[in-house]
Amino acid sequence: MTDLRVLHTLRCMGFTDLDRVASVAGLPPEETESRLIDLAVEGLVTRTPGAFGGWGPTEAGKIEDARLVAEELDKAGARAAVTSAYEDFMVLNPELLDLSTAWHLRTVDGVAAANDHTDAGYDDRVLARFTDLDRRVSPVCAALAAALPRFGSYRTRLSTALARGDLAESTSSYHNVWFQLHEDLLVTLGIPR
Amino acid sequence: MSAIHALAPGLGLDPSVIGGKAHGLVTLMRLGLPVPPGFVIPTAACRAFLDDGRLPGGELAEAVGELAAVTGRGFGDPARPLLVSVRSGAAVSMPGMMDTLLDVDSIDDLRAAVRRVFASWNAPRAVTYRELHDIPHDRGTAVVVQAMVHGHRDEHSGAGVAFSRDPSTGERRPYGDVLPRRQGDAVVSGTVPTLPLDTLAGREPAVWAALMDALDRVERHYRDVCHVEFTVESGRLWLLQVRPGGLSGHAAVRVAVDLVDEGLIDRATAVRRITPGHLRAAAVPRIRTAQILARGRGAGPGVATGRVAVTADGAVRMAAGGPVVLVRPHTSPLDLHGLAAATGIVTTTGGLTSHAAVVARSMGKPAVVGAAAVTVAADRIIVDGRSHPEGTVVTIDGTGGEIVLGVAETATADAGPHLARLLRWAAEAPVT
Repeated sequence: MTDLRVLHTLRCMGFTDLDRVASVAGLPPEETESRLIDLAVEGLVTRTPGAFGGWGPTEAGKIEDARLVAEELDKAGARAAVTSAYEDFMVLNPELLDLSTAWHLRTVDGVAAANDHTDAGYDDRVLARFTDLDRRVSPVCAALAAALPRFGSYRTRLSTALARGDLAESTSSYHNVWFQLHEDLLVTLGIPR
Repeated sequence: MSAIHALAPGLGLDPSVIGGKAHGLVTLMRLGLPVPPGFVIPTAACRAFLDDGRLPGGELAEAVGELAAVTGRGFGDPARPLLVSVRSGAAVSMPGMMDTLLDVDSIDDLRAAVRRVFASWNAPRAVTYRELHDIPHDRGTAVVVQAMVHGHRDEHSGAGVAFSRDPSTGERRPYGDVLPRRQGDAVVSGTVPTLPLDTLAGREPAVWAALMDALDRVERHYRDVCHVEFTVESGRLWLLQVRPGGLSGHAAVRVAVDLVDEGLIDRATAVRRITPGHLRAAAVPRIRTAQILARGRGAGPGVATGRVAVTADGAVRMAAGGPVVLVRPHTSPLDLHGLAAATGIVTTTGGLTSHAAVVARSMGKPAVVGAAAVTVAADRIIVDGRSHPEGTVVTIDGTGGEIVLGVAETATADAGPHLARLLRWAAEAPVT
């Protein structure tokens, strides 16, 4: 049977390395690698060598993942709950993008320039709004986790990123985890981006 | 309860009372320019509404009655229906943060629309915007209600945005986008390919002449570069908004110096307008060429040259052999490794706060978003019906949003004659 846990984790993360898939899937790296190899044998994932390489889903893997998550969703009777949570998420999404932009760019006297993070007052205001948004996304995360337990990891990952102050910097930043949750919702509900 | 005011040339109220949008419309009327008839519900009414949930009752019906008389139309009149737009307009502009409702056709719907716009002052996104831009939270927004003009009515209709000077370079030539047979929201959406403003000159010469006259009058009034939003309905030009200023970096420097040469402002004013932020922005390298393949919006400053890749996998593969510019309709997490491998990023949809733009900036890469004239096919990009295969060398400018074929020459504004003159004026008469 196809391992949906690792396949879907990879589908939502895109291309990434073994340690990151393992950490997000909540499995030891050795176990994750063994499952990835099985998926690769099925033609559902592939490993690209090189500096920007890593593990990623194949076209067949995306199709199979879409089929399996739709099946899982309907089996759990969770389509209505996930759809409703998705609608709430989309109300918050523009604000997350505004805030990520404000973290990178600051408009002074009508001129947008890179935020050099030397003004603690400004950064604190952005962070305060991030924290407020994070508080408001919590019910959405809770509703998703109640509908399908696998959504539970997003709340933890968002909190970890926020606690680290990694708003929109690294591959595990708040923005990127949010980006993956967005992708997950689209894939789960079968909505084209 | 504060009074509702008909939009009229004689309305002498401050933007803090009637909002920036209404203030601009009154200015346009004073300059003899065409503005759809309407009225403004002041910011005080918003503050009252947020306080006790009440709207100006009888006054609203009265204002609608006057508008019906002026237009010869009425709500629910089957022969001559009155349709209105309901737009926010705070004292300080908060673009895109509050609600706009179009084609409202009854007094009940109008009340609901005004309520919605007032309530949108406190929408979390709007609160965030004010927090980040130092705008007080207690001011409220005015609401501008105007008779609708329809850009999608017939083949002599359309909508657009026009700058009195090129916002990217500051050159003295009108610049903008226009969409025939469409409403204004399509022009700013970034998802529909627009036509260059000057195509209007051939299609609708009378409208073009009226628009050029309007841009000239608003520039001389504000003594600054301006941009207007306009709609053409059955060959007739209507102005829906005017804003002065708003250019940055090199373009702002050039405009300030040119305005001195044109006698519109003095040297001290020019020096005052150019802040250290403008000078820093002017130091970012820019493409120096007139041969633009396509234009989007600059989303990550800097210039990048590389071979076009149209998939993330392609970008990763090609990056081994040299710099790559990844061109995508939009980006998803599946593209992240391609974004990491690419030197520059182009998307054909999306705005300055899209995921692609945020990711590009987090990686410090030049990016152009919303290049709607570019189509991404399986192994090539298509612009104006011409194919450019994967591997074609392009240069992108993440400040001005330009995409050009080949390796483009770049320049910074620091050595330009405009900046040199401005700095000399600043040294001669220091501004305190």
